[in-house]
Amino acid sequence: MKFGKRLKHQIQETLPEWQDKFLSYKDLKKLVRLISSAPSSSSLEGVSESRKAQLDFIYLLNAEINKFNSFFMDQEEDFIICHKELQQRIPKVIATWGPNGTEPSEVDYIEEMWEIRRDIVNLHGKMVLLENYSNINYIGLAKILKKFDKRTGGLLRLPFIQKVLKQPFFTTDLVSKLVKECENTIDAMFPAVEQEGERREHKGEREDTMVAEQSIFRNTVAALVTMQEMKRGSSTYSEFSLSPLNLVDSDLIQSF
Amino acid sequence: MEARPTLSIQGAGAKHLSNLEASGAMSSSLPVLPIPLEQKYPKLPDSPQVSFERELMTNPMPPRGSSMVTNSSVVGHIFSSDSGFSSDLQFSSVSPHERHSRNAPFISQLSNNGASLPLTPSSHSGPFQSRALSHYSKESSDVSWCTDPLQGFLDYPDSVPTQNCQIESSGGGVMASEDHTKRNDWQEWADQLITDDDALAPNWNELLVDNNSVGLEPKTEIYQMPKQSSNSSVPQPQVQQLSIPSGELCTVGSPPSSVGGAPTKPRMRWTPELHERFVEAVSQLGGSERATPKGVLKLMKVEGLTIYHVKSHLQKYRTARYRPDSSEGTSEKKTNPIEEMSLDLKTGIEITEALRLQMEVQKRLHEQLEIQRNLQLRIEEQGRYLQMMFEKQYKTTGEKLKVSSPTPGDPAVSSSDAVPHSPANNEADTSEKDCAKTAINAIDNSATLNESNQKSDGKQKTPESRTTEGPEPAVVGQSSSPARE
Repeated sequence: MKFGKRLKHQIQETLPEWQDKFLSYKDLKKLVRLISSAPSSSSLEGVSESRKAQLDFIYLLNAEINKFNSFFMDQEEDFIICHKELQQRIPKVIATWGPNGTEPSEVDYIEEMWEIRRDIVNLHGKMVLLENYSNINYIGLAKILKKFDKRTGGLLRLPFIQKVLKQPFFTTDLVSKLVKECENTIDAMFPAVEQEGERREHKGEREDTMVAEQSIFRNTVAALVTMQEMKRGSSTYSEFSLSPLNLVDSDLIQSF
Repeated sequence: MEARPTLSIQGAGAKHLSNLEASGAMSSSLPVLPIPLEQKYPKLPDSPQVSFERELMTNPMPPRGSSMVTNSSVVGHIFSSDSGFSSDLQFSSVSPHERHSRNAPFISQLSNNGASLPLTPSSHSGPFQSRALSHYSKESSDVSWCTDPLQGFLDYPDSVPTQNCQIESSGGGVMASEDHTKRNDWQEWADQLITDDDALAPNWNELLVDNNSVGLEPKTEIYQMPKQSSNSSVPQPQVQQLSIPSGELCTVGSPPSSVGGAPTKPRMRWTPELHERFVEAVSQLGGSERATPKGVLKLMKVEGLTIYHVKSHLQKYRTARYRPDSSEGTSEKKTNPIEEMSLDLKTGIEITEALRLQMEVQKRLHEQLEIQRNLQLRIEEQGRYLQMMFEKQYKTTGEKLKVSSPTPGDPAVSSSDAVPHSPANNEADTSEKDCAKTAINAIDNSATLNESNQKSDGKQKTPESRTTEGPEPAVVGQSSSPARE
């Protein structure tokens, strides 16, 4: 599958509000095609056409990066807030409904812990998907720049990518840190709760949240599969390509 | 080259000016542009963006010599916020503090042609922009203007400081046609922009690193304070960084995301520490419902934070708190009758499993993404390193001739060693760092070999570069092994 198709697939599977935030790979490709592969054409219009297309391309690229940055930072801000809230909820719940709390109530305690757990998992999922978003867009940018350079014989790719590497949407360190913190929290808090949590839940409520979880889950699975496919050896394998990805449970994942 | 009285202003500018003069690529009709072109690189990070159109209207004919706040319109525009992008004209200038009088003729030309600026809506301003540009390019007086914004685009991405000698070579090499029409100048400028130059890059990188690494002075301050000279703006963030007591205040998003105009929100990158401060301030004020943005802003005492930032953040904060509160409320009402227990038991177990599985999948995706990202960073780093090496070779080619090298075989040897190594190691537990080190070592080896073996002709470079790149896929192949579970 070509990258364009995979990207399209990812976008379909992704959370709905994210769908227009991905790279407009197709549009950029169209612009690259417009850039005539014979820049030394005699007609002035031909030359200016090609230059116009190049201008458009670069302009669109920068606009896309802008778009990524704003979206990314917006989401990042949300994650910071949610993460903090969850971290604060845990001691609150323990203090209120925990065994030594002000109103010890096992029922409520378990209930609350379940919700916290679910929220943490979902937050974790969203953050990882944001990282995936960043990654996919980066790959798309790298590919389209490669095409552009090929077409124009130019050297836009290297410096541009260097710049991209420093953009907020690519510097996902903070998100990564939050992800790890979520994982630690889950591991610390919930092995104990697991047995108790089996006891009771509200079915109705579950269904609502399951929908949200499923979409995150589906998207995550789609992301993994896409990643695996993209890293398969391709015809244009070069020193800039990534290594093949071998997921152990790839069959299991694909069955979702 | 024609005399450029306006260009004597800044030392750096003068340097670039002389560089560009040397390039010989400039036509006589581009008096002022080289400087802004060169100057852009270091300044871009901090550039506030002022709507160019506003400037046009307020200062239609600025005197050439006065220090003006303009610059190539497109540059700033590109990285303005989305609203800025669509609503402002195509001309929002980037850095008031960096652009000087040299842009004045630029502005005056624009203002002269202001009437002819079409405002045709388009799907994105890109084609519009280029149409406008090509329209202008036909007019002789506008050539300088039209090339400047182009450079702005290409250069705003920060990536392309140009180097003197490279200008000539790249200008010669990449140019499709050699005739010196005005459109060719455009192309030359584009090429010059694209050529990489490390001398200027560090300035830019430095700024970005400083601003992004440790949370320091938010850029918004810099954005909004018009600076007089570009030079002063560069040290400014660093000075402010030192003055901030708590190390990790807000790291404002990198410069491109800034928008200088008052109505548009400067893009701010929040950090957990900054958010913590925010939460403290809010709790001091009596909770998220009672707190006002102004009060929070005052309490937080963070320089550069604007009320817009606080407002939007407060809004998000309230939304985030509201939902958990409401769900907590409903949970209190839950008192399950016992008959539901059996059903719940089953779903409870399923739910647990589902959550656990979800977490596992997410964790794995996260791991893969981390690995991939690190690889990408390293690949680009090595690509850049190779580029640097090539450039060094170009430079030293003329100087050193015929150094006999016993070592050209070595890169090939080391690569061939690496290659059989990798299949064997696919199952091994090589850590990613080791693989990266191997790759970097391979590059280093060939680098030192390259430097010691200056070849007179460039042909030698190619096989060497191939061999250095040879181990790369192999090493990358190695690093995939930790990805396997």
